[in-house]
Amino acid sequence: MLPEAIELLVLVAAVLAIALVFSPAAPRRQLLVRGGTGLLGTAAIVAVPTIDLSILVLLGLAVVDAAAGGRRPFAVRLRLPALAVALLALALAFSRFAGPDALARFAAVGLVAGLAAAVGLVPYLHAFDPEEGASSSPIVWIAFVGPVLATVLVWRSRGLLSADAGAAFGAILIGLGLINMAWGSLGAWFTANTAAAWRYSFVADWGLVLCGFGLTIADGQRAALLVLFTIVLGRLPLYLGSRQALREKTDTERPVNLIVAAVLAGSAPSAGFAARVLLLRGATQLYWPLALVLGLGMLLWLPGSLRLGRSLGRPRGRQAFGIVVVVAINVLAGLYPLPLFSAASL
Amino acid sequence: MIEGASGFVAWLGAALIVLADGRRGLAAGIAVTTVGIAALVLEGAGAFDAAIITAAGIVATIPGLRSGEEWGLMPAGSTPRLILCIATGLLALWLAASITTGSGVALRFAVISVAGLSGTRILAGDSSPVLLTAVGALAFAVAASAGLSSGSPGPWPYAVAAVIAGGSAWLRPRTANAA
Repeated sequence: MLPEAIELLVLVAAVLAIALVFSPAAPRRQLLVRGGTGLLGTAAIVAVPTIDLSILVLLGLAVVDAAAGGRRPFAVRLRLPALAVALLALALAFSRFAGPDALARFAAVGLVAGLAAAVGLVPYLHAFDPEEGASSSPIVWIAFVGPVLATVLVWRSRGLLSADAGAAFGAILIGLGLINMAWGSLGAWFTANTAAAWRYSFVADWGLVLCGFGLTIADGQRAALLVLFTIVLGRLPLYLGSRQALREKTDTERPVNLIVAAVLAGSAPSAGFAARVLLLRGATQLYWPLALVLGLGMLLWLPGSLRLGRSLGRPRGRQAFGIVVVVAINVLAGLYPLPLFSAASL
Repeated sequence: MIEGASGFVAWLGAALIVLADGRRGLAAGIAVTTVGIAALVLEGAGAFDAAIITAAGIVATIPGLRSGEEWGLMPAGSTPRLILCIATGLLALWLAASITTGSGVALRFAVISVAGLSGTRILAGDSSPVLLTAVGALAFAVAASAGLSSGSPGPWPYAVAAVIAGGSAWLRPRTANAA
């Protein structure tokens, strides 16, 4: 089994526990049932020995998730994950065919397209309803199932592709990552609805993850892991913590809002900052203009993050304590990320 | 000869799923797909794995046939779907027989055509029975593509695909609500 995916699975279990304990507005039973099902499905994606089985488990999980209901119709919920499975199945088949080299490159394109559709990234953003409950929202899918799924798909795909197709795979990941970064950070800044802004901010973070996966050197992989850490144990619990204020439409600008905004923007000393430094270092080693583009793109996080920090409202009681815990975890991971890397064998 | 016919039958089943709107027509589609894929699995993986696929196909077919609804095959306005089925079949045949090399042409043809057609059906469909039938066919295609790998995949891909195809046919999704 992949140590990186197992580590992310543990983090996903931890965020479910945090949501159950610290999120006063969430319906606990629904969160436990759907979160537990999602956790089991995600664990199965990691536990099965081959990529074919991981894809089949994804299909089963997508059907169960879509059938469990929500504000979006069944067809809308199922469509993109099922399309992802079709794309991944075709990509796997192409990677196994004997024939011209172009087939392996088509496989690389299919794998990246399937990955984007499975997680819900540009150009396959899942339909979003701002009023949907937390447990059935695509935001939770992107941050709960997505990290483990993407890690499994990327690591297992690499064994299927030749060196040439592997290079194409990395290049497509970086290209799609840059598009997601720009789309997500600009969307989080300019979109009218604050809940939609939260969704776009996840997409922007995923852009960094794709760029990290695409840089096939150690710094890139470490950066991808750290950004996934910030998605699972930073952005997701903060989004869940902001849901009550989003419903009440309360925007405040107190110190806690600014601290949360700094964590969301990846400022020092949070884990997001360490991830960005690693990503820039990795990009500089490979091709310095890429580091320039990444650096400029990272500046776009700031306006959206200030907006999202304000949307947290004025947290009180357990919710405030939960936010302090999440910020502290992110700062600790930013100051000393080595245990995370060694647990993931990176 | 039998292998080639099995690949054609698998494509025909997926084409029926694309062309049908009624539950009986969809059930006929998954049944025909099952026959094609199971025959290919029998050839490549063995009788036990083929039996798993066959059993799942039977389980997936029953609710549609018992529904009492119409067949709904090729309703008015389905000409674009027919063209899609033929074009996908020709493209899959070209890829499997002309572009790629090695044995297993029928399996390659079946995987490309069934995955392509069921994926398209999922994208274009709106009703739950259509989507769930296409999901069943897609699961069979994913399991069959495991047979293209150099090593033996064992019975697990077929077993998981069987659970998905058989289970989804009996699933009654909740309708959209304000929760």
